[in-house]
Amino acid sequence: MMNEDFRIDGLVADLRPVRRLRPARGFALVTAATLGVVAVVAVAAGLRPDVAALAPDPLVVLRSAALVLLGVATLHAATAAARPSIGEHRHGWRWALAAIGLFPLTAAILTLAGAPTPHEMLSAPMIASCLVISLSSAAAILAVLLAWLRSGAVTDPHRAGWLSGLAAGGLGSFAYSLHCPSTSIEYFAVWYGLAIAISAGLGRLVAPPLLRW
Amino acid sequence: MMFGDRPLGELMARAQAGDAHAYRTLLEQSGRWLRRYFGGRIAPHLIDDLVQDTLASVHAKRATFDPARPYLPWLAAIARYRWVDQLRRGYRADETLLRDDLAADPIDAAETARISLDALLAYLPDRQVMVIRLVKIDGLSVAEASARTGQSEALVKVNVHRGLKRLAALVEKA
Repeated sequence: MMNEDFRIDGLVADLRPVRRLRPARGFALVTAATLGVVAVVAVAAGLRPDVAALAPDPLVVLRSAALVLLGVATLHAATAAARPSIGEHRHGWRWALAAIGLFPLTAAILTLAGAPTPHEMLSAPMIASCLVISLSSAAAILAVLLAWLRSGAVTDPHRAGWLSGLAAGGLGSFAYSLHCPSTSIEYFAVWYGLAIAISAGLGRLVAPPLLRW
Repeated sequence: MMFGDRPLGELMARAQAGDAHAYRTLLEQSGRWLRRYFGGRIAPHLIDDLVQDTLASVHAKRATFDPARPYLPWLAAIARYRWVDQLRRGYRADETLLRDDLAADPIDAAETARISLDALLAYLPDRQVMVIRLVKIDGLSVAEASARTGQSEALVKVNVHRGLKRLAALVEKA
């Protein structure tokens, strides 16, 4: 107990006022990073003509909204994970993930009903462009999110990794969707789905060693 | 609970602003709570170190406390994180120790960590415990564990995965 008193003396002597960690700040940083990534995609790859004319195709609106919803919901849970707590896990993001799952479901129904496979489904240049832009955007967003999370005290780094990867994947794919020439549900289901899955896996892989404390 | 949670949260809020007196009171009360928390979870001679490690973490991460929320769940989450970390370190140390060292000191920290984990492993089916020990503790490959246990490689992977998931859930509840 004497030893503990001595240790407490040391901690008290080291006390300085601190600025509280606010998840809203992490949220704002990632939002800014996403806007930055959208600007880079717009300049480097160009926006879809209908998006640039502010008259987007309905599917572009739908998929972009679903991606932003996934990104925001998972980002909310990921930033909340920076503060230790017990029994306060946020699960709302699962509904957003389920909403994204409606696209592959629709694509599967269309395929079973005999709808022709869209030509861009197997277009190597388009697929490469989709994955490169989506994943590089996601990686940039993930880096910002993980850098902020390191200032917190994540007690479940695996969960935080999945959530961060999903958030970055959703927001990075959103940036790409503003450029993506395709308006096919099948294309979205397969290639956007793959990009989001890879991003989630990347988050799960890199987050735990970075978030350990 | 020996003390109300709300005052502890207020003490931490004042400590975040630099109030040393409030901080000392908070650390002393937190130390007492941590002793009880770790009491049933780890060998008595390891409690001091773990309490001090946890108090150091409280100090380093005090900016993450939100005064709008209760203090004890925050402290408990940090305590659980440090406890699991201690068990993990115990296992790592165990892998690098000579067995003679363990024989010379029967209450070695690594051995105690093993005992703590053994208590958790007791909740798992034998087939999962067997492959977790072989693959995750003894460091055998999946193929070697498969040959040793007679389980297929796919089954070894499934049992390791399910067993670790169950272990994580047990630690979560602990």
